[in-house]
Amino acid sequence: MSGDHTHEHGPTGQHGHGHLISFDPTASEPDHHAAPPTQGRALRIGIGGPVGSGKTALVAALARSLGERVRLAVVTNDIYTTEDADFLRRNAVLPPERVEAVQTGCCPHTAIRDDITANLDAIDTLEERFASRDGQSLELVLVESGGDNLTAVFSRGLVDAQIFVVDVAGGDKVPRKGGPGVTTADLLVINKTDLAPLVGADMDVMTGDARRIRGALPVITQSLVEDPSAGEVGAWVLDRLATRVAA
Amino acid sequence: MPGLASLVLADARFPGGGHVHSGGLEEAVSRGLVSDVASLEGFLRGRLRTAGLVAAAFAAASAAVSACRPSSGPSPSRPSSSCDGAAATRARFAELDAELEARTPSAAAREASRAQGRGTLRAVRAAWPSPVLDDLAAVHPRPHHPLLIGAACGVAGEPPGEAARCVAYLAVSGPASAAVRLLGLDPFAVNAVLVGLGPALETVVAEAVSAADGPPPDLPAPGAPVLDLMAQAHVDQHRGRLRLFAS
Amino acid sequence: MHARAVLTVERGAGGRSVVRELRSQSPLSLVPRRGTAAAADPAVTVHMVGSASTPLAGDDVELDVRVGPGADLVLTGVAAAVALPGTDRPSSLALRFTLGEDASVQYLPEPTVVTARAHHHTLLHARLAPTSRLRAREVLVAGRAGEPSGRYRGTVRVEEHPTPHQSAVPVVPLLHQTQELGDPVLQESSAHLAARRVLGTEVLIWGADGVAVTGDWWSLSPLSRRGSLITAVAPDAVSTQRALAEAIAAHPGWAVGTRHDAVRALVF
Repeated sequence: MSGDHTHEHGPTGQHGHGHLISFDPTASEPDHHAAPPTQGRALRIGIGGPVGSGKTALVAALARSLGERVRLAVVTNDIYTTEDADFLRRNAVLPPERVEAVQTGCCPHTAIRDDITANLDAIDTLEERFASRDGQSLELVLVESGGDNLTAVFSRGLVDAQIFVVDVAGGDKVPRKGGPGVTTADLLVINKTDLAPLVGADMDVMTGDARRIRGALPVITQSLVEDPSAGEVGAWVLDRLATRVAA
Repeated sequence: MPGLASLVLADARFPGGGHVHSGGLEEAVSRGLVSDVASLEGFLRGRLRTAGLVAAAFAAASAAVSACRPSSGPSPSRPSSSCDGAAATRARFAELDAELEARTPSAAAREASRAQGRGTLRAVRAAWPSPVLDDLAAVHPRPHHPLLIGAACGVAGEPPGEAARCVAYLAVSGPASAAVRLLGLDPFAVNAVLVGLGPALETVVAEAVSAADGPPPDLPAPGAPVLDLMAQAHVDQHRGRLRLFAS
Repeated sequence: MHARAVLTVERGAGGRSVVRELRSQSPLSLVPRRGTAAAADPAVTVHMVGSASTPLAGDDVELDVRVGPGADLVLTGVAAAVALPGTDRPSSLALRFTLGEDASVQYLPEPTVVTARAHHHTLLHARLAPTSRLRAREVLVAGRAGEPSGRYRGTVRVEEHPTPHQSAVPVVPLLHQTQELGDPVLQESSAHLAARRVLGTEVLIWGADGVAVTGDWWSLSPLSRRGSLITAVAPDAVSTQRALAEAIAAHPGWAVGTRHDAVRALVF
């Protein structure tokens, strides 16, 4: 440490400046990181969350509901690499040239947070493909992370905003457990609400904990069985796009 | 003297996309050729003396070209009257690129090297900005990984031997780490194997440095037959199937 | 022993390739194929006999092969070459091919068996014009059955040279590779021979190159600029040659090129 720090340290012994990510689930600080400049490239939205919480289904729903209005493409990061990409292509949600699969070397969280190179390369590939093909640039890239744990968040060097997806079947204590995904994501989606009565999950507990932990940050509960178009999340994404265009 | 650049570039946490490459290890594992620490050591020794030597020699040669460029950093290690400007530097990088391509007969191995170079270029530009990197990228926008590592070391003022050691180490540390992730090998045992490669690694570095002093057509070209055919098979036979690493 | 040999082939009247110069000395002999079959073939076939195929310690053989524009040469070895034990210095064989425009060389020696106490070096340096074609095979056997491999080091370098009116174009290396036998660490390594005894490679600079194709233990990979390389490993020479044959059948330029040759054979 250099000796020129003359200011008082806080009670926890940490410096009062700098970027502090709190792992205290009761804290709800907004993200300190400034989003990178977005001019001249597509808006990038990360979609993360635990294994099986419904990330791919959400991406498919967004691709279906927004695909007509927005020039979008998808990067998948499953550890089974091509599985999610194949799902999206097979179900004709997106034409194959709009989906890029990234290998993560067994480390899905590394690929979206610590070393984002493979994902940036995939986004570059998509943007170059579209620029050269029809001269129109992409407006939106959805980056779907591989299923991981509650601490996995996207680097701000990779995405402009991130959605964290948890599901009712994972247990109604998930929001209370917190972790950077639940606490700092720009949008928390509590998925599969139709299953709540079947798995004995208390929706009031889940949404209550989530709102308390996240403060002003939004929470959306949804069931793709009841709303296959993921309308609320789609509206949030469109709002993000509009905000950026206006800025 | 080793400097910070070669340490940072050899660090597993360097954000250049290296963690998604296994250097043929994933295919060797899927063929049952590597299944434990002993067979991993055999793989690494063979890889070091073949692909590792080629990479180290070209990294050393590239570092010498880079250090020779007048505006290439605080203290060029080899200022001499034979040093030239951009055009000559590009021509020398172009010759190294062509000679390295001729020594990489496997299309999959060439692609893996360029993919890692492309990923690393982003991080290198941010850390060691220099016109030398433009000269290298002018030869090919996705420079071969060893040439880029060599150029970065040269920009940072490190001698060719440090670039060679960095690249030779990466030739084995990446696959070793992949083996830990794929096979669940004891990380202490694998780390001890890496350290045990020390004398063989120094032999490779010495040969690389000595060759880098000569003309590029005389740089070493040891073949790695099984590594080459596995590199291609990894791409061809696993298309659409479980694949955790890009190479 | 030290030998310098020269072989020059040119395209003669009627499009047939003819031997213009043939100088060889002990321990190397070059024997052109004769007879009616040879007369019907527009290409010249020359057999290498002697030390080029059975090198002894200290033997130092160089062969310069020049194939003029439009001429075709097939150069073969007649017996499985065995690199025999040396005393002080290694045996060596250096082949230099220079091909004119539209010229072709097929170099198809028999397998080289690197016996336990051998120490053998080879060099194959081919200079091609932008339109010349080359097929060069190498099958290396690491020791006779039941014995360890002797020492072997062989380099193949294939370059494309500009034609005289392209003087500003640089020489482009198409392939440069050195194979080494005789080190148990390398041979056992799953990065190198994976404990297989036989290594086969075949360079094909022969028309169109397709995408890479792989079998279990062989691959056909397009090179960076032009040409392809076949690599195969196997427990024995017969399996290796079978893999090479399977791979070459997958090469699009070879399929077209050989049909073309067959047509030419009928015409002339």
